[in-house]
Amino acid sequence: MELRYRDASLRTDGVIGLELQPFLVSNTPPTRPQAILAVAIAALLCTATLAAVPFAAIRLEGTEPVLPAYAAGLAVVEIMTAVLLLATLTLSHHRAVTVLAAGYLFSGLLAIPWAVSFPGVFPALGLDVDVQSTATLAAVRRVGLALALLGYALLRLADGPGFGQGQSRASLLGCVLAVAAAAAAVSLVTLSARGGLPSFMANAREVAPLWRYVPATAMTLYALTAAILLATRRSVLDLWVTVVVATLAMELFLLSYVAGGTRLTIGWWTGRVLGLVSASMVLTVLVSQTAILYARLADTTARDRQDREARLTVMEALSASIAHEINQPLSSMVTNAYAALRWLDKPQPHVPEATDALQDIVRDGHRAGRIVEETRGIFRKTGSDRELLDLPAVLDEALDRLRFDVVRGGVRLHVEPFDGPAIVAGNRIQLGQVVCNLVTNALEALRPTVGRERLVTIRCRREGNWAIVSVADNGPGVAQTQASRIFDPFFSTKTDGMGMGLMVCRTVIEAHGGQLWLEPDASAGATFSFRLPVLENGRGGGRE
Amino acid sequence: MTTGTTVYVVDDDDAVRASIDRLLRSVGHEVVAFPAPQAFLGAPRHARPSCLVLDVRLPFMSGLEFQRDLALRGIDIPIVFITGHGDVPMSVAAMKAGAIEFLTKPFRDQDLIDAVHRGIQLDRQRADAKHVLAEIAARHASLTTREREVMAAVVSGLMNKQIAALLDISEVTVKVHRAQVMRKMGVATLPELVRQADRLGLPKP
Repeated sequence: MELRYRDASLRTDGVIGLELQPFLVSNTPPTRPQAILAVAIAALLCTATLAAVPFAAIRLEGTEPVLPAYAAGLAVVEIMTAVLLLATLTLSHHRAVTVLAAGYLFSGLLAIPWAVSFPGVFPALGLDVDVQSTATLAAVRRVGLALALLGYALLRLADGPGFGQGQSRASLLGCVLAVAAAAAAVSLVTLSARGGLPSFMANAREVAPLWRYVPATAMTLYALTAAILLATRRSVLDLWVTVVVATLAMELFLLSYVAGGTRLTIGWWTGRVLGLVSASMVLTVLVSQTAILYARLADTTARDRQDREARLTVMEALSASIAHEINQPLSSMVTNAYAALRWLDKPQPHVPEATDALQDIVRDGHRAGRIVEETRGIFRKTGSDRELLDLPAVLDEALDRLRFDVVRGGVRLHVEPFDGPAIVAGNRIQLGQVVCNLVTNALEALRPTVGRERLVTIRCRREGNWAIVSVADNGPGVAQTQASRIFDPFFSTKTDGMGMGLMVCRTVIEAHGGQLWLEPDASAGATFSFRLPVLENGRGGGRE
Repeated sequence: MTTGTTVYVVDDDDAVRASIDRLLRSVGHEVVAFPAPQAFLGAPRHARPSCLVLDVRLPFMSGLEFQRDLALRGIDIPIVFITGHGDVPMSVAAMKAGAIEFLTKPFRDQDLIDAVHRGIQLDRQRADAKHVLAEIAARHASLTTREREVMAAVVSGLMNKQIAALLDISEVTVKVHRAQVMRKMGVATLPELVRQADRLGLPKP
């Protein structure tokens, strides 16, 4: 079984696999203020609905010209909503969201022929349209969107807040074209029909008895949708779709029951306005949430960069000071050797001076050696900071820190976790850095990859007393000629790299009694693995 | 056996200092080494051709700051810089301020020896020039007031007759003073006298 999880509740216990996923309205759970706001808006709209009831039957003559503006607004809002929903699908695939987007697109497109065919709205066009056309379009539109909403709720129930790969542009385009074709077909058939359409209207204003079934069907669908969404309610989008359904029900209540289906009355117009509000709701949520998430992402990116630069500065300072410390004895050794040669090269060799010089060389050699030893000690000193660590927890922590980099890189991160705890003795920060470093390298290696999925796979397994972690990418891999040098200090295949990362990683892992290596037979991409000795019941072990 | 030259070394690293001392002594320089710039300033200096080997990275004061400090104090000694981490802007700054050479540790023995040699040559030339100037000044000082007036007039290109009119003396007297000036200044020709006047920076009319 592979469960997916979201937000900060990253877990890798037992058989549960993990996938990092982007923050989207379709998978971010609603916060409490958002839920309160949704309820408040629903209550406000409900009040407006009830307030309109006493005046519902009053006819507003000559309001036909307002209708095209209303229809245009409705069409634009619904099509925009569909486009934004489709855009989220390129990152995270939900069947439910696809159905919702299709429903909005269908509804938005049909709003145009509905307005065009509305009796008395476009007399100048001289359209000779059957009196039943407008009502038929309205019925198809209403039931269509209601079905899409129900489909959304049902798929939500079936899939959970699942996260698949982003959908390809081609399949999204296909979806859009299919919906557009369906809308065009419905429009053509109804607009060109002469008779044969169901008799929804008694005349241009009043509905016939047959219309009864349309609101009844829609109401049933709304009720089902609302019930399912209220039961599951997992994401911000779910929350607002519930409000949308409620608003649509209010609209229909006013249009078909309070106003008795009679067009251009106060009840009918109020219902229309509610419909527009309802249509705008998802759009508003999408736009505002996108803006908020974008701001948060920008903030995190800026902080990330600062962290990285700070780390780099420390590394530079450290390496400069090490270089200076080693260069001093090296310099005096070289100068002493030259001096000794010169003292011995004289017509009468001056042995005591040469001997002194050689003794100084020996002393400086030892001094340089001590400096090297102390530098190693910087890594080893952390022996005192060692604690018992659960390696899976260290992995989770490191991956959590990288979640934004993963999303930004358009990379799918797949983790095959340990089947149980793996206790090691070590330094949490250093081991976390190793994981971060390896994954970051993998992400950077994938940057030039286009046209296929960017995948980073982390495999964890136990082999005897060793815990083995592999980080694999499906990027261009490491060239044979570079494979032998890749762990050397100051060697980098990146133009902006310091070339210290892998060397430091290897040093850290070796200081923990383990090994870090590049898998030699990786057919595609590069795979780096490390192994650490596992402690059984917190006692020694691991060494073979 | 020494060449009668002194090389001063300022480096805070004992081992580096000792090795440079040993190398420069092997080619016959007398070496006086100091761990800090203050020690160099406090020590007596020999009045013979010398050169300073200076580490860029020193405690409390960088080698480049010390170079400026020396210039302000009017201590004129050629400097060879040595550094563990030289960069281009640093070496440019040092060379512009008159350094002989900028060597990165570890350096080749010949490079240091050559640089020190060039420094000593320069110091010797400067000392010679100073010595000559002092001699000319002493000679000029031995002239009488009238002789100095005649010399100033002569080097400014006036004829004997013009000088006589200017100083209100006879032309013969001018000739006598002029011969005295040539003899006392130790020159045989007029151009030589003009060059000496130039070196002394005598005001031109």
